[in-house]
Amino acid sequence: MGDRSAAGGGSNRPAWLQQYDLLGKIGEGTYGLVFLARSKLQSNLDKSIAIKKFKQSKDGDGVSPTAIREIMLLREISNENVVKLVNVHINHADMSLYLAFDYAEHDLYEVIRHHRERVNQSINQYTVKSLLWQLLNGLNYLHSNWIIHRDLKPSNILVMGDGDEQGVVKIADFGLARVYQAPLKPLSENGVVVTIWYRAPELLLGAKHYTSAVDMWAVGCIFAELLTLRPLFQGIEVKANPNPFQLDQLDKIFKVLGHPTQEKWPTLVHLPHWQSDQQHIQGHKYDSPGLHSYVNLPPKSVGYSLLSKMLEYDPRKRITASQALEHEYFRTDPLPGRNSLVSCQPGEKTVNYPARPVDVTTDFEGTTNVQPHPMSSGHAMANNASAASLVSTRPVARSQLPLVGMPRLPNLHGGISGYNIPPHGPGMAGLNPTNIPIQRGGGQAHSQQQLRRKDSGSGIQNSGYTLQQKSRRF
Amino acid sequence: MAANFWASSHSKQLLEQVEVDVVPQLDKDRGVTLDEFKLIKVHMTNYIWRLAQYVKVRQRVVATAVSYFRRVYTRKSMTEYDPPLVAPTCLYLASKAEESTVQARLLVFYIRKLCNDERHKYEIKDILEMEMKLLEALDYYLVVYHPYRPLSQLLQDAGLPDLNHFAWGIVNDTYKMDLILIHPPYMIALACIYITTVLKDKDKISWFEELRVDMNIVKNISLEILDFYDNFRVIPEERIAVALNKLRVKM
Repeated sequence: MGDRSAAGGGSNRPAWLQQYDLLGKIGEGTYGLVFLARSKLQSNLDKSIAIKKFKQSKDGDGVSPTAIREIMLLREISNENVVKLVNVHINHADMSLYLAFDYAEHDLYEVIRHHRERVNQSINQYTVKSLLWQLLNGLNYLHSNWIIHRDLKPSNILVMGDGDEQGVVKIADFGLARVYQAPLKPLSENGVVVTIWYRAPELLLGAKHYTSAVDMWAVGCIFAELLTLRPLFQGIEVKANPNPFQLDQLDKIFKVLGHPTQEKWPTLVHLPHWQSDQQHIQGHKYDSPGLHSYVNLPPKSVGYSLLSKMLEYDPRKRITASQALEHEYFRTDPLPGRNSLVSCQPGEKTVNYPARPVDVTTDFEGTTNVQPHPMSSGHAMANNASAASLVSTRPVARSQLPLVGMPRLPNLHGGISGYNIPPHGPGMAGLNPTNIPIQRGGGQAHSQQQLRRKDSGSGIQNSGYTLQQKSRRF
Repeated sequence: MAANFWASSHSKQLLEQVEVDVVPQLDKDRGVTLDEFKLIKVHMTNYIWRLAQYVKVRQRVVATAVSYFRRVYTRKSMTEYDPPLVAPTCLYLASKAEESTVQARLLVFYIRKLCNDERHKYEIKDILEMEMKLLEALDYYLVVYHPYRPLSQLLQDAGLPDLNHFAWGIVNDTYKMDLILIHPPYMIALACIYITTVLKDKDKISWFEELRVDMNIVKNISLEILDFYDNFRVIPEERIAVALNKLRVKM
């Protein structure tokens, strides 16, 4: 990974830039910008790549810790339902860092919005179930590897467009993810994260150490949103530093799920905000749990059963990703599939989701070129037509402008043309050159086995998650 | 990743001793011997450790920094990657990777305090530029596993939790060698426990046997550590100076 960055061509431009055709900007966040590019490398010709540019942090402290975390985690993990980091580039001239990902044409935020605003029809059951299953599958992988995502929300759940991975879910944006085995500092010290609508009640009540259960709460919220096309708990965020108490968000949850009680949630009384009760949250009594009516599911249905287990107040009782994958909901018709967007069932209507808008006027430096002949939308459409893979966009505007419909970028275009090209064949596995000095194979796995004692079970406890490779952990 | 060392990049990047004991060509051209190459690495490990005490980071951060430092010189020459700058920058990068970020200006302050040599008084800018070069040199693999966790778990298992402090000190010393680039962390931990049991006169042979690890490897690592104690207890300043000066020869 990476490249010999001999600055070529006399300009400030790093040599690696020549391996891409830059198409334009597709996202923006606090960390920097996201671009869509097309690979010019023979091994990856015409493959769409999302390039996330990290700005040098303003405080004079080098590569942002967010970027370091994301690189560090993504370099270690590999799963079909997690975004694939294909390359990292550095521009030494302006000290900026670029992460290149397989590009994904869609994300759940846009899929939900498309149904709400254009189709005026709920997402079909097969698609909801397939999206949810793959999201849980990716999450189960992360949790088995002791990684908590911490910022799951519809815009971070990507879905692949046309190509051999069409309709495959990819969990993205690991800037806030953490390895939770022996953290050096309590996680809460880094500033509590997660968009408040998807934030678990234990965090809202001031829990200091959080667990993978916070991700499962977010999945529950996303599941409900896929069913109703509306965020389940739309609290109004209190903006203050540091970590203000989010009263309205909790109140929204209590209204739908009923008031939490010590019987249902024994450790509730130890949580700081509950204990201090400064804004009398203990007194807000809502006793009619109306979740099933809110999401329009019969209380006895398997879907409702799974949802209510994800939205369990007590994090210790909340269903885990691996348990959720085994739930009856995924064993009843329609069964989930790999291509979540296209059902193999005859008669199911396929929805054409729009391609991601591309702002073709912004270059890698983030400067806007107002060109005398602005690229026509037709051009942008042609660019997008071959799109196959993925991006992590985290536009700030999204969380701040709920339901108002994000202001669309210029050159907005419909998606139908995007589906007319033949899908990519196999063999597009990605650039990802591995410079690993020495590959050691199964021999070590073998010696790992040797270490397992006759009386396994003593000493080191197991995580309870299904590990891909059962082994004694160190 | 954290759950499974064998699936980690660290495991895949383990090297053989002979691959680590290679003086990069550019350094060789300047007359740097293998002994001097090792000596500089020991010296810089100590330097990272001293800096870490000033900026107050935990031992795991230091261990990660030293691992980065040693990894870099399996790929890059000391001539191109100046050790007195690479060392503090490794600590800087490791502090970010281990969630306890140290400010660059704080680091620069203590570098100036600790260093008498004018040539090593770096600016913040130097650290930040080197950080990017290190990311590249490390091929963006930043997760490092350490013997500390298995050490505590294994000592508990062996019924020797009170020897944790003693054995922990030996683990710290292993970072003055390249063991972390060569052996899985739990094997290093076992070697440190082995030395501890011998020095403290505890009979744990049956416990070791039950583990079903290759005891030859454990004993070899132990011998290497003891050998290091014999040969590198004191490093004469002049020898370090001679070695570092060779790197500055213009060719």
